[in-house]
Amino acid sequence: MEITGADLVRAAAMLGAGIAMGIGAFGPGLGEGIVAGKACEAIGRNPREAGLLTRTMLVGQAVAESTGIYSLVVALLLIFVV
Amino acid sequence: MENIGKVSHWVFHLGDTRLVLNSTTLVMTWVVIGLVLAFALVATRGRSIVPGPWQQLAELLVQWFRELVRDALGDAYEERYFPLICGMFIFLLLCNWVGVLPGMEEPTKDINTTLGLGVMGFFIAHGTAIKVKGLKQYIKEYFEPMFFLMPLNVVGEVAKVISISFRLFGNIMGGSIIIVVVTHLAYGLVLPPFLYGFFGLFVGTVQAFVFTMLTLVYISVQIR
Repeated sequence: MEITGADLVRAAAMLGAGIAMGIGAFGPGLGEGIVAGKACEAIGRNPREAGLLTRTMLVGQAVAESTGIYSLVVALLLIFVV
Repeated sequence: MENIGKVSHWVFHLGDTRLVLNSTTLVMTWVVIGLVLAFALVATRGRSIVPGPWQQLAELLVQWFRELVRDALGDAYEERYFPLICGMFIFLLLCNWVGVLPGMEEPTKDINTTLGLGVMGFFIAHGTAIKVKGLKQYIKEYFEPMFFLMPLNVVGEVAKVISISFRLFGNIMGGSIIIVVVTHLAYGLVLPPFLYGFFGLFVGTVQAFVFTMLTLVYISVQIR
């Protein structure tokens, strides 16, 4: 079986999707972990505000997640479009 | 597995132009609109001082969002923007939840739905800004703090639309792809119900809330 240029392009796209997802998930994971840790600290200090803190934490995490989502979209494009 | 990237189309030919409609998205959006209307009907029928369960749920939602909008925008704009924000949340919530039902697909799995809602929020926020501050002041704010930063400000405003719509789309699309892949691996035996619970119900709720909150924040940034 001959390996042609199209196969190489496909392989590179798959590899690129994996790298994009792996490195792209690193930053949001770190950031969301820090946010959750800080929220836990704040709830420990002030348990009465737990509802507000959880709400704010979830919104902040969802915003911090957006770079990870971009890399997901790029990975999907590489897999299904290229 | 094979139909992950596929989108079903209705193609119309109007003279020379070719009109492509995403059939699944359209049908499911109308289903969701029907669900929202049904919820509204059930909640408002037979209203009484002692509320029934549906009326209780609707009152809880409305009261909660009224407080959120009042906190973000102040009393002067609460009445005007509260219906938009609350309606958007209920619509998006049902959009994200409807994929849990068998045979249904989320309308938010299509980038066109989320991008449309994002562009709608963009125009509402900027229209509000022009109305509140006046056109002169509105344009002047693009040249702050220094005049050559104008392109950066414009790009920043456009990037808001891209980020808000891609966030919702990516979350729902990624969740549904993970469900399809795991179902393919595990033959639908054990994991998929939990995955539907997590991606459909939990992530769907959080993302619907985040989308509405960010639209509200963009409006409030333009007003202040």
